[in-house]
Amino acid sequence: MLDRKLIFVSGKGGVGKSAVTASLALLAARRGLRVLVVGMVESIGVASHFGIDRLTYAAHRAHPGIDALAVYRDEALDEYLRLQLHVPRAAPTKVLTRALNVLAETAPGIREIVTLGKPVFEMWKGEYDLVLVDAPPLGQLFSYLRAPNTIADLVPAGPIQRQAHKMHDALVDATATSLILVTTAEELPVLETVETLDQLEVEPVITLAATVTNRVLPDLEVSARVLADLPEGPHRGAAIHHQALFDQQQRWLEALPTGLRLPYLFGLRTAGEVAERLADEWDEQI
Amino acid sequence: MTSKVVVITGGGGVGKTTLSAALAVGAARQGLTTCVVTVDPAKRLADALGVESLGNHPREVKAAPGLWAAMLDVSASWEAMVHRHAAPDVAERLLQDPFFRALADRFPAAQAYAAGEQMAEHIESHRWDLLVVDTPPAGGGIDFYTAPGRMRELIGGRLLRWLTGASLPGRRAIYKVTARPALKLADAVLGGPLLEEIAEFLLDLRSLYDGLSHRAKAIELHLQRATSIVITTAYPTPMREARRFFEDLPPEAGRPSTVVFNKQLPEAWSAGNALRNADLTPQDRIALRENLARWSEEVRRQHDVKQQFAARHSLELLSVPWAEAAPTTVDALAALLDSAPALRAHLPNATT
Repeated sequence: MLDRKLIFVSGKGGVGKSAVTASLALLAARRGLRVLVVGMVESIGVASHFGIDRLTYAAHRAHPGIDALAVYRDEALDEYLRLQLHVPRAAPTKVLTRALNVLAETAPGIREIVTLGKPVFEMWKGEYDLVLVDAPPLGQLFSYLRAPNTIADLVPAGPIQRQAHKMHDALVDATATSLILVTTAEELPVLETVETLDQLEVEPVITLAATVTNRVLPDLEVSARVLADLPEGPHRGAAIHHQALFDQQQRWLEALPTGLRLPYLFGLRTAGEVAERLADEWDEQI
Repeated sequence: MTSKVVVITGGGGVGKTTLSAALAVGAARQGLTTCVVTVDPAKRLADALGVESLGNHPREVKAAPGLWAAMLDVSASWEAMVHRHAAPDVAERLLQDPFFRALADRFPAAQAYAAGEQMAEHIESHRWDLLVVDTPPAGGGIDFYTAPGRMRELIGGRLLRWLTGASLPGRRAIYKVTARPALKLADAVLGGPLLEEIAEFLLDLRSLYDGLSHRAKAIELHLQRATSIVITTAYPTPMREARRFFEDLPPEAGRPSTVVFNKQLPEAWSAGNALRNADLTPQDRIALRENLARWSEEVRRQHDVKQQFAARHSLELLSVPWAEAAPTTVDALAALLDSAPALRAHLPNATT
């Protein structure tokens, strides 16, 4: 699963997407890879798992073997113009930046391709073995992954179009790039995940590496008869609560294709602990 | 009549829609003529309220006398907004424009702004004693509060002024003098007549400014006067989103005063753990003890993160207990509110 150069991790908001991204980074670093973590639309979520308040646009050391950065639009726009479109120095950069800012607010795909460009560009630079992206949540995922195609249709020729084609080729290259979808075994996350999997069949803009179900509860291993006979009290309350949640989870797990599972972590308080414990789980599973 | 307004906000999946419905049912049962406006495609809420399909126009809930329900229809609200603020020919042109449609689809503040205009319409209809508004989950709910300002900035901001000229919108001659040469140059470098096309559209968009700016101020005032309640659960993502209301939201935007921790487990689980009087195999005993140990850890974690939150922000913090099953009837919604008397106290008194 970690043998690609660029991995996007997405999922419905609140399912633990950032925690899973951080844990995979820890796993890769434990196995000796040089890792870059990119917070694509949000700079706090993944940072908290490394005990950092907020990521910056420049990569900083987040953990031994792991650097991290966040994509901020103004800086990304500037870098996109200079390094990706190769706009000559003689060009009126100020006018172009303003013009692209207007486009980013109004034309479909521009803001997305500028943001998406950062992690892809980092892969091309090749300073890291693995670029792990805390990607936008499911609701916005396709508007980003689809952006190279949108742009290629919108702009008839020129550097934006050439760059969009190049980015499209990098995203669909299954040997280099893949997507990991994170979900929990609950109604809305599962339904949105299934919808996304269907959409990927229709629009194969990236290759799916795995579906990961987070916060899966263990089996209680107490029979229904025993539960029914338990006297009132905390044991009964907690057991019935667990069994009800477990049954619901099992039902929603059936709606998902076979994938990887991560356990519910009871009582963990800090984001750092969560990422380390999930990395331990990965170590056993892959 | 003047509506009291309760705005229920927070990130996705925290139970906003259910708690909005529960508050509305409780208010209607107290004798208040109440309308609940929900945002998500809330099939379960619609089912619970016995209303098959909801839209922008409130419908009476048969199972709860005095209660009406509506669902925010974003695209209908967006069109209504354009017709409200633009000249008829401009409105037609904008609604046909692919850039404009893309703006409505992609700019989260645009949808949140349309929701705000819809809220204002409901308030200004003066039909309700109480209006309960469930907010769009974009930006963890905060977009609903920042959208009026952001829309004003988008349409009246410096980028559009640069393109269309600093003076009144509609004076295209000025735009041609100031920005056209720059746009031509930019297009030549970028490889298409993109900006020149967009400039025409932006001029139409800018003509919305006066109406929209006026309306945005009204929405901000409504939000300031409303009782805003943030719903969260004791998980990192919703709590991070809840914190933003107090760290990132300017006070004049109508900052919430109450935070509700939803889905709280019983504190009693972390106290007693004797397994008396039960006829159990040793394996059963071990399994049950381990299970209670796990969940009491979880109860203590919920307790701790809630205390930390309370210490950081001086706020009223409420708890709503975990509901084993999502309420699917009006009675179940009322029972949910009864289980949270402190939340119930936020309802205005019936005035007769």
